[in-house]
Amino acid sequence: MSQLSATDSAGFPSLTATKRGFPFTGDQLLALAARGAGAVVLLMLLSLLTVLIHATWPAIKTYGTQFVTTSEWRPNELQVPKRNDAGKIVFDEDGEMVQTTLPAKFGALAVIWGTAVSSVIALVIAVPLALGAALFLIRIAPGKLRGPVSFLIEFLAAVPSIAYGIWGLFVLVPLLQKYIEPSILSIASHVPVVGERFHHFLGGDTGLSGRDMLCGGLLLGIMILPIITAVSRDVLAAVPVQQIEGTLALGATWWQSARQMLGYAKAGLFGAVMLGLARAAGETMAVTMVIGNNNQIALSPLKPAQTMSSLLANEFGNPESDLHRSALIAVALILLVMSLSFNVVARYLVIGRGPRRAS
Amino acid sequence: MIADRADRSLHDRLTRGASAVAYTLSIGFTVVILVTLLCVVGYLFTLGFSSLSLGFFTHLPTGAAQGDVGGMKHAVLGTLILIALASIVGIPLGLLTGIYLSEYDTGSKLATPIRFICDVLAGVPSIVVGILGYELLVRPLGHYNGYAGALALAFIMIPIVARTTEEMLRLVPGNYREASIGLGATKAETILQVIMPAATGSLVTGIMLAIARVAGETAPLLFTALGSRLLSTDPNEPMPSLTVQIFTYATGPSPDQQKLAWAGILVLIGLIFVLNLAIRFAASRRVGSKR
Repeated sequence: MSQLSATDSAGFPSLTATKRGFPFTGDQLLALAARGAGAVVLLMLLSLLTVLIHATWPAIKTYGTQFVTTSEWRPNELQVPKRNDAGKIVFDEDGEMVQTTLPAKFGALAVIWGTAVSSVIALVIAVPLALGAALFLIRIAPGKLRGPVSFLIEFLAAVPSIAYGIWGLFVLVPLLQKYIEPSILSIASHVPVVGERFHHFLGGDTGLSGRDMLCGGLLLGIMILPIITAVSRDVLAAVPVQQIEGTLALGATWWQSARQMLGYAKAGLFGAVMLGLARAAGETMAVTMVIGNNNQIALSPLKPAQTMSSLLANEFGNPESDLHRSALIAVALILLVMSLSFNVVARYLVIGRGPRRAS
Repeated sequence: MIADRADRSLHDRLTRGASAVAYTLSIGFTVVILVTLLCVVGYLFTLGFSSLSLGFFTHLPTGAAQGDVGGMKHAVLGTLILIALASIVGIPLGLLTGIYLSEYDTGSKLATPIRFICDVLAGVPSIVVGILGYELLVRPLGHYNGYAGALALAFIMIPIVARTTEEMLRLVPGNYREASIGLGATKAETILQVIMPAATGSLVTGIMLAIARVAGETAPLLFTALGSRLLSTDPNEPMPSLTVQIFTYATGPSPDQQKLAWAGILVLIGLIFVLNLAIRFAASRRVGSKR
């Protein structure tokens, strides 16, 4: 920075004055540093991809496409009674069961399922609410209210996921376990004809823990409300005012005009939803705390589940073997590719349709 | 004729009715969102205030699970060190990338993909960033360490700082640049002495935004800095952090440690609230909004 204080003949501070023997002028130096930083960003993405793909390789080599088509996830070897071709348990001469060892097995379908279902539940809850609120902010809210409400929503988007997780663990989980889920079950069992089966399907016989797919999806929905609201508000704000005035001049009601507005901005709104989806799919801490962490596909939303990110949070710290770690990194890679593609679509759709957001 | 008119008035009434319902729903949904989210924050604030004490900042964990469990001095310090380390790497790189995108090669074949990559990198799930940190700095070194955590946090900071910097620099009117070049200044002088000072407030916004974001991150630290019950100032060792410590305590069985976790959450949310207020203040003074 000492060069900054040097002045040239005209008395202007100058960066062109080079120190003796120093190969670059300040001008070249800044250009170099800026280009270097650009290259670093490029390098960040490349290293992310190469490191993950490299570390995933053993798992891909072992399982191939089975990795994403099977749901069995068993980090340890398992001792089971040996069965013959007819499915009967084999006994040795002393009448003891013959044990065989099943090797460790890794299939990611259950966690892919968990991520997909919990994200869909989150979107079903968040999207209508967020769009309603975005319409409110643009079309109804008086100017004085718009600022504070917007600030509040932006602040809530910045609240860390661990905070939502703690709230979920201490408030949402007991609430679901004690009040909401028992009433869902009792309604289910009163359905004529299929009531008992429905009750059984939902998991009423095994007891409710409150930590399940429903809880995870619900909490995710709450967490992505602020971001979807904020982005859709920006997208709606970019709709040309003539569009709205035109509909009103033709005598449209508030809702007819609002629908025109939503239709005009639908690509951008879809982008906002994709951003929310990317957030929900990649969200880790809160989900880990409330989803129950059970690595199986359960169709009932009242049973514990596991998402890709919660699996990573639970198991990556103490892998049982190198293959286990490699399989976990494969899950991370799938998660990465998924959320990258959601993000790419979202950015493509939101770009140029409103004031850009920082994150 | 009469039937037709009745039809039309029925249709009319239905349309108006639907509109009124939608209007009410729009207000109702906003109320639902705000009430839910305020419930979340209000609950955390109430619990936090009842368990926060000065000892939180000045005491170390006693190691006891019940009774006097101590404070989180180590975690506060650890978080500060991690953020400082991440900032040393992340802020200059982010600023320079922003400068590159806004002032050099704008719209060129190289800048467009880099801009896009920045956007995309901002959406990488933070747990995946943690795994990258593990593979790059934990596995080769053979032990968990603070540097890996700081690296993961820097990875998250760079795209945020870069994109806000670019946008804020773009808001500086073009005639500032022309005037500066016209007076004989070089490009570097123009950038460092004219454009950056004009946008200082908004550049600070981007930096605070990035700090607020990484201060609350837990997932990238789980497999890098790991966390620790001890006071540690050596980044080559496992480093405690507020978020990981909160996670450990909150999911643990001890009610006394859970209280400490609530106090920790309050401190964290309080910090982020203050940063957000500061961002709003700084953003209201940006160059572009004066026009």
